[in-house]
Amino acid sequence: MTDITVPQDLWDSEDEGVILTWVYQTGATVAKGALLAELMVEKAQLELVAPASGKLTILAPPDTIVRKGTVIGRID
Amino acid sequence: MAQPAPTGGSDRTLTMARAGREAVIAEMRKNPNIFVIGEDVAKLGGVFGTTVGMAEEFGAQRVIDTPISETGFIGIATGAAMAGMRPIIEIAFVDFIGVCFNQIFNFAAKTHYMSGGQFKMPLTMMIGYGGGYNDAAQHSQSLIGTLAHVPGIRIVTPADARDAKGLMHTCLRDDNLTIWMVHKRIWGLGWLGLPLKTALSVVPEEEYTIPFGQARIWREGKDVTLVGYGITTHHNLAAADKLAAEGISAEVLDLRSIVPLDRDAIMKSVSKTGRLVVVDEDYMNCGVTAEVLAVVAERNPKALQAPAVRIANPDVPIPFSRPMEDFALPDADKVVAAAKQTLKAS
Amino acid sequence: MKPTPKQRIWMYETMLKSRLFDDHLFNAYWEGKKPVFHMGKGPLPGEMHQSFGQEPTAVGVCAHLGKDDAVGAGHRPHHVAIARGVNLKRMAAEIFGKKTGLSGGRGGHMHLYDNSVSFFCSGIIAEGMGPGAGMALARKMQGKPGIAVSYNGDGAVNQGAFHEVMNMAALWKLPYICVIEDNQYAVSVTPQESTAVRAWKRAEAYACPGEYVAGNDPDLIFEAAARAVEHARAGKGPSILELQTERLHGHFIGDSAGYRPKDEVEAQKDPIPLYRKRLLDEKVLTAADADKLDAAVKKEVDEAIQFARDSEYPQGTEALERVFA
Repeated sequence: MTDITVPQDLWDSEDEGVILTWVYQTGATVAKGALLAELMVEKAQLELVAPASGKLTILAPPDTIVRKGTVIGRID
Repeated sequence: MAQPAPTGGSDRTLTMARAGREAVIAEMRKNPNIFVIGEDVAKLGGVFGTTVGMAEEFGAQRVIDTPISETGFIGIATGAAMAGMRPIIEIAFVDFIGVCFNQIFNFAAKTHYMSGGQFKMPLTMMIGYGGGYNDAAQHSQSLIGTLAHVPGIRIVTPADARDAKGLMHTCLRDDNLTIWMVHKRIWGLGWLGLPLKTALSVVPEEEYTIPFGQARIWREGKDVTLVGYGITTHHNLAAADKLAAEGISAEVLDLRSIVPLDRDAIMKSVSKTGRLVVVDEDYMNCGVTAEVLAVVAERNPKALQAPAVRIANPDVPIPFSRPMEDFALPDADKVVAAAKQTLKAS
Repeated sequence: MKPTPKQRIWMYETMLKSRLFDDHLFNAYWEGKKPVFHMGKGPLPGEMHQSFGQEPTAVGVCAHLGKDDAVGAGHRPHHVAIARGVNLKRMAAEIFGKKTGLSGGRGGHMHLYDNSVSFFCSGIIAEGMGPGAGMALARKMQGKPGIAVSYNGDGAVNQGAFHEVMNMAALWKLPYICVIEDNQYAVSVTPQESTAVRAWKRAEAYACPGEYVAGNDPDLIFEAAARAVEHARAGKGPSILELQTERLHGHFIGDSAGYRPKDEVEAQKDPIPLYRKRLLDEKVLTAADADKLDAAVKKEVDEAIQFARDSEYPQGTEALERVFA
């Protein structure tokens, strides 16, 4: 089981970000390194990739405000 | 740049920007004659993120940052097309076609014809359009009516990711001047609004095409036909939801292809419902809304049980200030009011 | 011709005015756009191209201009408008989209117009060059004094309009100055990547003077501008004045300019504190006078911004007005 956490190095500041889209839905099988979600901080659009392969569970849906370190999903 | 990796069957929901880019990348990998040319397409990946990651994959010879010289580089791309290449020209804002319109409408659009078919024009333009975020008169226009008015140009306006990819494949395989246009507020750029859920869609991994001249019914209905394209399809969908709550069944017809126009689909829907609302963010006068009404007037005006209603920019330059811009541009509430108007007036 | 102490103080004061104005706008822009950035939200929606670092180009040239002259600017106009003497309150109100704005809210930040000082903007690159030269032509045809100045960026010189207008301005000896603000970036693209021959060097093609002024220095810009202005006023025709300047922020608010090398960004210098220090060192201003001046400018800018915030929005239906005269 791997948490999908908003990486500390995804953006520089301590600002909040927002989840724009999830590419896959809960239950999907995803590959490590695949694009999972798009986030936005200020005007920058950022990519979040799968930290592991396995089955996806989304915990934070699109439009959720997040911080670096927020757990937004899980891969089993 | 990460790509959604093949996962053996898991559905991917993409934004229009990603879906369009996926089609471009797939075609570029197959066909070495395709190159992208435009302002800020290489280093920046496009002002609207249309070409993110592409310069890294295809190199500076195939993803070309130009000077600010639209007349020049559109002319150059046109010549390259005539000599066997297949350029994709990016114009970030449709408003900028004013600078180079001669190259588009007098040369590129007419060369195949004037040469009696000797010179093909395998040229695709990727253009962003639309307002509603206070970018004022010179950066918010649609101009689809202006472009559609000139013979020799095929124009498609996908309204969701699935259509974006299919129509881009179609454009890149057509040997003609094709313009693929996406309203800026439905690309999937967060900074122009959290991505509209109705513009996101599950996009097949494989390549597929959508033919020119084929409209799409997004929602069936029997009481009134709501015709739109691009963002106005989404206004129409939202309006249909509101109307449904009041017991009115609206059919949402997305034109999807402006040239050629699916006149049969328009007539079929209006024959079924008898009521027509046409919604466009472009200027009203002599525009797409007028063309849709012309279809009905020419083929069977008796199909209409009430006067049709057009919603479009009331022929004013798009104002900057929010109350004025909101007044000038269409929205779901205006569509609801128009639909009700057609149902009262019979 | 060097600037007089009075002119130098005016240049400092005006640069500061532009800077404080832009500072206010920068803060206001982010209101309503956090934590989720939406370009259309908040009191300052839309795009915002600010003039941080480019203030010297406006004051060095506009110091020579008077009521008979005309000035056109592009999509990054604030410093030029302020140096031209555009009504600050109405300019602020326009940028905030208020009814009291220069255009009643129709234009917004990159479409600022003030006919009382013959100032206009254009939002499409190089589009304003022709109109600028046209204002020069009108003065010549009407036998009126006055010259016209167009401000453009380094990226604009590759537009066809640049060539067409310079050719005609030279051919017809129009009292016109083409100012090119070289901030080294057209969004993400540098002149090295886009331009075979720099604008000031092309002057020979138009048989007119062309100068490049390095350093983003108001005094040096003033001197070069004096030559171009004198040339135009004497009926000798146009000049190209290319001015090195610094774009201290991104292309517009929200552009992190990740395409710029970090060491290049770190090496940038802010011209305003440097000029203030120079005026103090050269005893053009005393420290006390400088502080007093700063306070007065701050007050004027604060009041202009407050006027904008306090003003009403137009009615939506006003969108239908003023299409035609």
